[in-house]
Amino acid sequence: MSLLREKLLKGDFVITVEMTPPKGPDIIPMLNKLEELKYLTDAVNFTDNPSAKMRLCSMAACKLSLDIDFEPVLQMTCRDRNRIAIQSDLLGAYSLGIKNVLVMTGDHPTLGDHKEAKPVYDIDSSVLIKLVKNLNEGKDIYGNSLNGKTDFFIGAVVNPNAEPILPQLKRFEQKLKMGADFFQTQMIFEIERLERFLDFADKFNGTKVIVGIIIIKTKKMLHYIAEKIPGIVVPHWLINKVRELKDEDVEKFGIDFASNIAMNIIENKLAQGIHIMAISKVEDVKNLLNYIKIRV
Amino acid sequence: MIVTKQKTIDEISNYIDQYKSFFLVGCSECATLCGTGNEEAILNLKEWLEKEGKKVTGWFIAKTGCQILGTKRELSVYKQFLDEADCILVLSCGAGTQTLNEFFEDKPVIPVNDTLFIGNMRRLKEFEEKCRACGECFLAITGLCVVTLCPKSMLNGPCGGYRDGKCEVNSHRKCAWIIAFDILNKRDLIDRFYESLLGPKDWSKANSPRHYSVKEKKVEFTT
Repeated sequence: MSLLREKLLKGDFVITVEMTPPKGPDIIPMLNKLEELKYLTDAVNFTDNPSAKMRLCSMAACKLSLDIDFEPVLQMTCRDRNRIAIQSDLLGAYSLGIKNVLVMTGDHPTLGDHKEAKPVYDIDSSVLIKLVKNLNEGKDIYGNSLNGKTDFFIGAVVNPNAEPILPQLKRFEQKLKMGADFFQTQMIFEIERLERFLDFADKFNGTKVIVGIIIIKTKKMLHYIAEKIPGIVVPHWLINKVRELKDEDVEKFGIDFASNIAMNIIENKLAQGIHIMAISKVEDVKNLLNYIKIRV
Repeated sequence: MIVTKQKTIDEISNYIDQYKSFFLVGCSECATLCGTGNEEAILNLKEWLEKEGKKVTGWFIAKTGCQILGTKRELSVYKQFLDEADCILVLSCGAGTQTLNEFFEDKPVIPVNDTLFIGNMRRLKEFEEKCRACGECFLAITGLCVVTLCPKSMLNGPCGGYRDGKCEVNSHRKCAWIIAFDILNKRDLIDRFYESLLGPKDWSKANSPRHYSVKEKKVEFTT
């Protein structure tokens, strides 16, 4: 069974971290980070060519992580593979020991570094959840029998920042119906937006939610997130506040800000975990976790 | 209609460099509405060719360039001018160009236009893509064609990338699913829509090349 599933079912508060595989074959820097992160967090998500920028594949990164006993979450998008490739890759991933998947539609190629690539989007993320559920029941997408069952812990994504929110909530509900076991949110800057989503999610008993948070490191980083990452709404007050800070004070502010969100989630038992996104240094994760532990 | 756009002069020059005489064929249907296959487009091209020292042996505008037999019949009166030309230049869509291609085995048939999409005209000579000819219309279910208007062809609602209701791919364009959602909402169809899952879509209906016979009422991928 997936260790992440075990912890979430037990009611543990989980901490996961996002790792973007390298752009190139050199895996040493990634492995060095993983060696440290495995003692700090419960699982590591490997992104699937995020922002449609070509990188080493998530599956290989997951396997490398398994080899050092660090629970991986395979992120899989619908952008680059048709239903044949998706199922084949998922069976392959399972055969390598990968038990957690986080599925999403995926950023469009025009946002990435291979803008002329043909977008696939043969299926969308709701259908993909149903597909993984089928694999778990020993069937392919058409119901044909497989020679066994997978046992994937199925994650789906939701964006509580979305405006208007209702279409997003309806999709959340649909993903839940299709068989999503847990949800990971897009990065959260305002607890009110998270609560707006959680009020809706609470109608469905036992929904496991892991909240995406980010450690702001520089003014440039916040600007990039606000401008370039699809679906992210960085509140104006936060942009203004960071803009007014001295450059050298942004990092400390970023840790404080992320810690406050994390603490709010923990103290008010808003969700079952946090997912630290877009990390650049292991040190940042350490700082954040130290801060939370002190307060806990 | 099939929306077309004239290629750049540089690209056209590149294709016709080695030829001296030309016969030009336009189309009175979509390409005329697009201004890429009407008399004005033909005369402009003729003027440019002549300025370049080339000869135009004649021109005509097909009634419906994608109608193979009709176009062949119309073209028969131009035999002498066609024979005199080294090359045929077609100011139509890709389908019209290939009608002409069928008639001339040993003479190059060169497209003047690029074929863009199936679309509607909003204002004069302004076109919007509306249909991808996917072979299975979901408009009754989704209110507007999300297969075409959503860059990810999402069938079950928006992705998480929209911002203030705008598409992640083009921030000037409203997310197709936000519009579809409004339509379904106004028609009180949201709950009904979410009772089931749409898809996986049968993309085999969009496999190319397709053949359709009204008599046999059958679309075939291979014939």
